[in-house]
Amino acid sequence: MELNINGTPTQIDADPTMPLLWVLRDMLNMTGTKFGCGVAACGACTVRIDGEATRSCVMPVSAAVGKRIQTIESLGTAEKPHALQAAWIAEQVPQCGYCQSGMLMAAAALLEAKPKPTDADIDEAIRNICRCGTYQRVRAAIHRAARTEGATA
Amino acid sequence: MKRRTLLLSALGAVGGLSALVVGWGVLPARSRLGSPDLMLPTQGDVALNGWIKIAADGSVVLAMPRSEMGQGVHTALAMLVAEELDVPLTRVRLEQAGADKIYGNVAMLLGNLPFHPLESEDGNKATKVKFGQWMVGKIAREVGIDATGGSSTISDAWEPLRNAAATARASLLGAATAQWKLPVQELRVKDGVVSHASGKTAHYGELAAAAAGIVPGTVTPKDRKDWTLIGQPAPRTDIPAKTNGTARFGLDVRLPGMLFAQVRMAPMLGGTMASLDSKTALSMPGVERLVTLDAVGGSTAGFAVVGKTTWHARQAAQAVDAKWQQRAQGPLDTAQIEAQLLVALQPDAGNTFFEKGNAADAEASGARKLEATYFAPYLAHATMEPMNCTAQVQDGKVDLWAPTQVPQMARAMAAKVAGVDIDKVTLHTTLLGGGFGRRLEVDFIAQAVRVAMECGGKPVQLGWSREEDTTHDFYRPMHVATLRAAVGAHGAVSSLRIQSAGDAISPRWMKRGLPALAGPIDMPDKTTAEGLFDLPYDFANQHMSHVATRMGVPVGFWRSVGHSHNAFFSESFMDELAFDAKQDPLAFRSAFLKDAPRYLAVLKLAADKAQWGTAPPAGRARGIAMHESFGTIVAEVAEVSLQDGKPRVHRVVVAVDCGTVINPNTVAQQMESAVIFGLTAAIHSKIDIKDGAVQQTSFPNYPMVMLAEAPVVETWIVPSVRAPAGVGEPGVPPLAPAVANALFALTGKRIRRLPLVV
Repeated sequence: MELNINGTPTQIDADPTMPLLWVLRDMLNMTGTKFGCGVAACGACTVRIDGEATRSCVMPVSAAVGKRIQTIESLGTAEKPHALQAAWIAEQVPQCGYCQSGMLMAAAALLEAKPKPTDADIDEAIRNICRCGTYQRVRAAIHRAARTEGATA
Repeated sequence: MKRRTLLLSALGAVGGLSALVVGWGVLPARSRLGSPDLMLPTQGDVALNGWIKIAADGSVVLAMPRSEMGQGVHTALAMLVAEELDVPLTRVRLEQAGADKIYGNVAMLLGNLPFHPLESEDGNKATKVKFGQWMVGKIAREVGIDATGGSSTISDAWEPLRNAAATARASLLGAATAQWKLPVQELRVKDGVVSHASGKTAHYGELAAAAAGIVPGTVTPKDRKDWTLIGQPAPRTDIPAKTNGTARFGLDVRLPGMLFAQVRMAPMLGGTMASLDSKTALSMPGVERLVTLDAVGGSTAGFAVVGKTTWHARQAAQAVDAKWQQRAQGPLDTAQIEAQLLVALQPDAGNTFFEKGNAADAEASGARKLEATYFAPYLAHATMEPMNCTAQVQDGKVDLWAPTQVPQMARAMAAKVAGVDIDKVTLHTTLLGGGFGRRLEVDFIAQAVRVAMECGGKPVQLGWSREEDTTHDFYRPMHVATLRAAVGAHGAVSSLRIQSAGDAISPRWMKRGLPALAGPIDMPDKTTAEGLFDLPYDFANQHMSHVATRMGVPVGFWRSVGHSHNAFFSESFMDELAFDAKQDPLAFRSAFLKDAPRYLAVLKLAADKAQWGTAPPAGRARGIAMHESFGTIVAEVAEVSLQDGKPRVHRVVVAVDCGTVINPNTVAQQMESAVIFGLTAAIHSKIDIKDGAVQQTSFPNYPMVMLAEAPVVETWIVPSVRAPAGVGEPGVPPLAPAVANALFALTGKRIRRLPLVV
C-alpha cells in the first residue's frame, strides 16, 4: 500500500484492517500521534485525513490510501511553529501533554474550516479528552491562533 | 489504637526502624548535598555536588529525581537552581538522577504524619509535632524513597536544592577569587558569567574545573528580596516539545528490534486463570508468543501476547480463549461492600485521629443533634496514557523505560522478578502521560520484566488497553462517613463528631512495593483519614475517627487521596450546619476560623472574587467550600445551574495559599486542572464491581468532563513568605462540596452521595 503521509509517499506492507494509528506508531515510528482508548472516544489519536480531523485508532489503514494524511509531525517544528503551536506555548496549554497532539490536530482542522471560530464552534469541534483539564487554555489558544495571520496555513 | 502508637507507626515503615533512630539521634541529619560522583560522568561536564554539574559552555545540568506528569516540577526545580546560580532558566538542562538517598523525598513522608495543621504552624509547633518531624525526617533521609507524590516535590527540594545550587555558586566564585586574587565581595554574576569591575570575566564553564576542588564554608541561599525568577511566571520548559509530537512518553519508546506485548488479566479482580487455549492466537500473523502472568505487585493474574506491533499483540490477545475463576474469597461486589461499610460504623469503632474537649458529653447535654451519612464510590485514575513499561533483560541485566512515579521501587520490583541484584537494573524514566497516583504502583513494571525474560534479550514494550487500565486499577477506596453535630439552645454548634470507614491505602501500598517495611494492612493510616481529623474549625468538642476495613478491592493513592472524599463529607456538612443555623455559609465558617487567620484569608479572597453575597446570574446558585491539604489551603466558589436536570458548573473561583510561590503560571494551571479533575469525579465518576468484575471499562461508560462542559476557572493567590507547599493536589478536594453546596442553594436538595445526581 502507498500512503501519503505529510506530503511524503510512503510504502507500507500492512494488514489492510490494521488501524492507521498502529501503522504510524509501530511501523513508521511516528509516535507523536497517541493511543488513548482505541474506541474513538478520547481523540488522542486524531490526525487529519484530507483535512478532516479523524480518529486514527478506528480507521483501517486501507481507508487512508489515496488520501492526504497529516499528523502532528507536519504541523510545525520547534524552530518554525504553526500559529496554533505558538498560541499553545503563549497560553501555556499542555500539562502532562499526552492528549495535546490530538487537540492540536483537531484545532487545526477547525481553523481551516472556520478561521474565526466562536466558543460554540470550539465546543462542537474539540471533543478530545484532556485528563489534566487544559480546556480553558485550549479555548484561549485557539482564539489566539485565529487572531494570528496565516493561522490556517 | 492510642495516638502514641499511631505516631510510631505513622509511616508503616517505621516499626522496625524506630529503634535505630535512637542511634541516629546523636548524629547530625544526613546531608542531602551529595558527592559529585553521584552524577553521571559526561565528557566536558564538571560535577560540583550530587545535584549540579557545569557544562563546558557554562550551562548547568541538574540531577532530576522527580517525574514530570503535568504538574510542572521539571520547570520549577530548574527555576530554584537557575535562581541561585544566576543563569537563565533555559540554560538549565535536566539529567535523570541516579539512585542515592540524597534524592529521597523527605517531605512526602513528613506529610504522612497524623498531626493537626494548626499544631504544626511554624513558630507555634507542638512538642509532639517537633519530635515526630525530627524522627520521621531522620528515617526518611536514611530510607531515601525517591517518589513523586503527595504534592511534595517543591517543599522537599526547597532547602536541599537551593543549598546545592548556592554551594556550587560559592565554589565557582571561589575559583574566580583564587584565579584573579580578588575579594569575592567585588565579583558579580549575571547569566552565568562572573565579572569584576577591572574587566575580568569568566563564564561558569571556564571556572568549573577549578571550582571542583573548592569546598565552601557555610552557604546561605539568596534572600527573597534578591529573587529575579522565583515568584515570576515562567514558561514551562517542557511545553514546546508537547506541542509538536516530540515529547517522549513511555509508549513512545522505540528501540531496535523491539517487540510489543499486550496484556489481558482475569476480568474479576484477584481472579485466576482456569484454562487457556492460545492455539488460534499463536497462529495469527505477527504473533511471537504468549507469557502467563502471575499476580505480582498487586496486579491480577493474566497473560501477555507478544507480537511485532501493538495491533498484532492486541488482536491475538483478544483471540485467546481464556477461562477465569473468582478469587478464593469469592467475588467482590460494591453493593455488598457499601452495606458492610455502613455496618462498620459502630460507635467507638476505629482509630481516633483527633479529639478535643468531650464530644460525648456535649451530645448528651440535652442539646439537639444533627446527623448525616455520606458516601463516596471507588474511582479509577484514568491517566490518558494507559499503563505501560518497556523492558529488556539480557546478560543478567535489566533495562527499564518506564513512566513511573517511584524509580527505586520500580527497580526493586524489576530486580525481584528477574532474580538479579537491584544494581543490575537501569531505569530510564520517561515523561508520564498523567500519574495522579496510579504510577506509584509497580504492577505493570513486574509484568514487563516477566515478559521480557521470555523474549531472548529483545526489548519489549508492554502496554495495557484502555479497558484493562480501567478494570485493573488501584482504586480510590469507597468510603462512608457519619457526621454528627450537637447544637445548643441558641443554635450554636457545640461539638462535631466524624466517623468514616473504608480500606486504608498506605499499608497496602507499602506491602506491594516495600514489603520488608510494611505494617498490618488495617493499621491507622493518615492518608486515608486526612481531611477529617485536621479541620481548622474551632468547635469546642470534636471527635474524629476512621475504621480501617478489609474489603479486598485493590486500592491506591488517587489525586489528593483521603482529602478527595473527606472534604466532600466535611465541607458539605458544614453547609448543612450553616443552613440549620440560618446563617450564610461564608459567615458561618468564618465564625469558627478566628484562630486560623490563613484559612480565613483564603476563604474571604475566594468569596470576594466570586462576588459572594451578590445575586448570581439568573438560574444559577453559588456554593463555597474550603479545605487544606498538603500544606496548601484552597477555597472554591462554584456557580452552578441545572441543564436537563443535570448539574452544569459555569464558573469556579479559586483562592489558594500555598506559601511562597515558585511559578504562578504553574499554580494557576494546577488549580484549573484540579477543578476539572474534581468536577469529573463530582458529576460523572464511579466504579461499580459486580461478580468480581469492574463494570466501567472505558471513556464511554467512565466519562470525563470535556471542553464543552468545562467551567471558567479563575485563580487568585494569597501572597506569602512561608516555605512553599505543593499545588498538584490541593485544588481537588473543595470542588465536589462547592458544587454540592451550590446545588443545595439552587434546589434545596442536599446530596450526600458522589457522584452528584440531582
